[in-house]
Amino acid sequence: MRKCFSVFKYGTALLGAVFLSTALYAAEEAAPGAKGMSDEEFTPVKEVMLVKFVQMEKPYHLSVHELGSAFKEVKGVTVNLQMQDKAFPNGGGSVKTAEVKGIHDGMTIFFQVSWDDATKDSRVIAPQQFRDGVALMFPLGKVTISTEEKFSPRMGDRQKPVNLWNWKADWEVDLVAASGIDEVSSQYPGMHDDFSTNPISQTYHKGLMQSPSILAGGISAGNLFSLPNRGRVVEDLNAEGFGTLTTQDHQDVDGCSAYEHGCWTVIMHRPLNTGDTFDVQFVPGESTYFNMAVWNGDKEDRNGQKNISTQWHPLELERIAW
Amino acid sequence: MTLVHNWHLGRRMEYPYFESRPKHQFAAVFNINRCIACQTCTMACKSTWTFNKGQEFMWWNNVETKPYGGYPQSWDVKTLKLIDNGENTWYTNEKDEKTSPYGVYEGDTIFEAAKKKNLNQWAVGYVPEDKEWRSPNFGEDVAKSSKPDESSSLPVHNRWFFYIQRICNHCTYPGCLAACPRKAIYKRKEDGIVLIDQKRCRGYRKCVEQCPYKKPMYRGLTRVSEKCIACYPRIEGRDPISEGRPMETRCMTACVGQIRLQGFLDDNPKNPITWLIKNQKIALPLYPQFGTEPNVYYIPPRWAPREYLRQMFGPGVDEAIEKFMVPSRELLAVMSLFRMSQTIVFEYRIEEGPKVFETMIHGKKFEMYNDTIIGLGEDGKEVVRTTVEEPIHIRPDKHYNSI
Repeated sequence: MRKCFSVFKYGTALLGAVFLSTALYAAEEAAPGAKGMSDEEFTPVKEVMLVKFVQMEKPYHLSVHELGSAFKEVKGVTVNLQMQDKAFPNGGGSVKTAEVKGIHDGMTIFFQVSWDDATKDSRVIAPQQFRDGVALMFPLGKVTISTEEKFSPRMGDRQKPVNLWNWKADWEVDLVAASGIDEVSSQYPGMHDDFSTNPISQTYHKGLMQSPSILAGGISAGNLFSLPNRGRVVEDLNAEGFGTLTTQDHQDVDGCSAYEHGCWTVIMHRPLNTGDTFDVQFVPGESTYFNMAVWNGDKEDRNGQKNISTQWHPLELERIAW
Repeated sequence: MTLVHNWHLGRRMEYPYFESRPKHQFAAVFNINRCIACQTCTMACKSTWTFNKGQEFMWWNNVETKPYGGYPQSWDVKTLKLIDNGENTWYTNEKDEKTSPYGVYEGDTIFEAAKKKNLNQWAVGYVPEDKEWRSPNFGEDVAKSSKPDESSSLPVHNRWFFYIQRICNHCTYPGCLAACPRKAIYKRKEDGIVLIDQKRCRGYRKCVEQCPYKKPMYRGLTRVSEKCIACYPRIEGRDPISEGRPMETRCMTACVGQIRLQGFLDDNPKNPITWLIKNQKIALPLYPQFGTEPNVYYIPPRWAPREYLRQMFGPGVDEAIEKFMVPSRELLAVMSLFRMSQTIVFEYRIEEGPKVFETMIHGKKFEMYNDTIIGLGEDGKEVVRTTVEEPIHIRPDKHYNSI
């Protein structure tokens, strides 16, 4: 039994349909550094994940321990992960499996992902620090995926966009940081700072602190990574192939996490329907697919250097029964 | 990979994108012989662009001591090791003025080494840790010497060090741009300046890893990477002082030692930058073997061991030093342009003056003429006029210093 299952007394690992990818590369290159994909990768796994209808008490308590109880009786799927070996730069391979469960209450959909990770990496202030993270990916719109109707399980493709939800460990730290973002001084305590953020300090410069364009390019450009007080731990994105990942203007996904006994448990949630054309929309009784990736910060995972599933996983939302 | 021509290497090389040169390329000439490492350039840059939170370790411009210094620590030695295949040789017998002025490099570039090693990324590299970035001039003024009581005299000193002034090279084939999996880094068509899109960057640090010169830097506060922006508002002529004409960067104009001249590399032989780099080959690229075609060029220090300099600036070192030690009439005039104007000089013309001095230098006759050099701006109008002999102003008695 894996450590993380014992923490929350979940059922034993479930038998997922395992298709080992036998890298049959197509002749032409899809993108710089990208190799072709095998038919097998266009075939979703057989096991369908049922997103159970569960009546939830409101308001939701946004913590893994509170929300986690709703997942207790829910059967999940085990997703096999491997290194990303198609688009440059390749990498990953340290996380072998993750367990995914889904529930909805007719209004909101919740996904719980858990995986083993010996180190908690939730700070990215020093140049050599990299974050733990996880992402779920959904095809945009209503699609059927097969070897006849191909839809890349790796970041989608041109004319075949995907919606991605990316949880990041450091965003959890930012969420509770006094200044809205984990300060450099928390990595380097006692460091000298010419510009105090404390308004009663002698070195406080009001004009400077209130001028983000002078303070930082990332902030003035509105980069979600740079903005303090972003108020969420999950990023809502789109992509249509390698290198196209783009943050959405409208962020709809949130989540929470717990790191205990060498295991991450992350819950991501969003209203079933957002009305945003860039978002996947979930309808009870209907099906779609998901795929996922996990980043292990300790192994310097970031961007394409990640642990991925190479096949889509079907998911079906249970009908609402009051 | 595609094949592109790199004239520093005198051959075609592999690069992930097609050859696409800007209309004119941001470039500079740094005369190492004059630098006193006062770091005024460093502070000019710091106080303009990197004075703020999360940028404490960040020096887009720095001056470091060679052979032991480096920012980040040992950056060049580490990268040289990554491309070393034991046969990194230059062939200097076959030269072509246009396509291979220094000969042909037959070793691996950072791109070719990555492919040979099957790294599944575009270039070799590494991400320096925070402790490696902690000073802009590690090993300051530490000299190389084989004996403790060694004395030195020209032409080559036995006990030696020199300063190297470093900014982003705004390379023709940037390692950072190749490395970025998000295409968040771009090279401007109009002036060849290389920039990181602050909205598109996600702080992956692939640029930090694969820039061989280690000039993109990660900012922990904003979680994205930043780099030298070549003071592009000044280059675009947006500073009112230059009346809409391109203006040199902060680090250039602040140079106390007058070692720097910045402009654009083009095909005009009367452009001072082009004349020094392409026509005379007095100013040389830094580590051309990395393969990125860097656009900051150096006049090598005449006292340092040639073998070391050849590793650093390629096989053009001997010719460059020879020309610089006994400067020609035109070189003296062009060198007089350094730091005489903030407005970028696009072309020069020389008005001949009288001979004022002659001597022998290392057995060669040297004659000095007090010529006048006139620098013309982008619009062809005169922006500066100076003479080889520095003008002398004698303050009249009534302004006698009373202190």
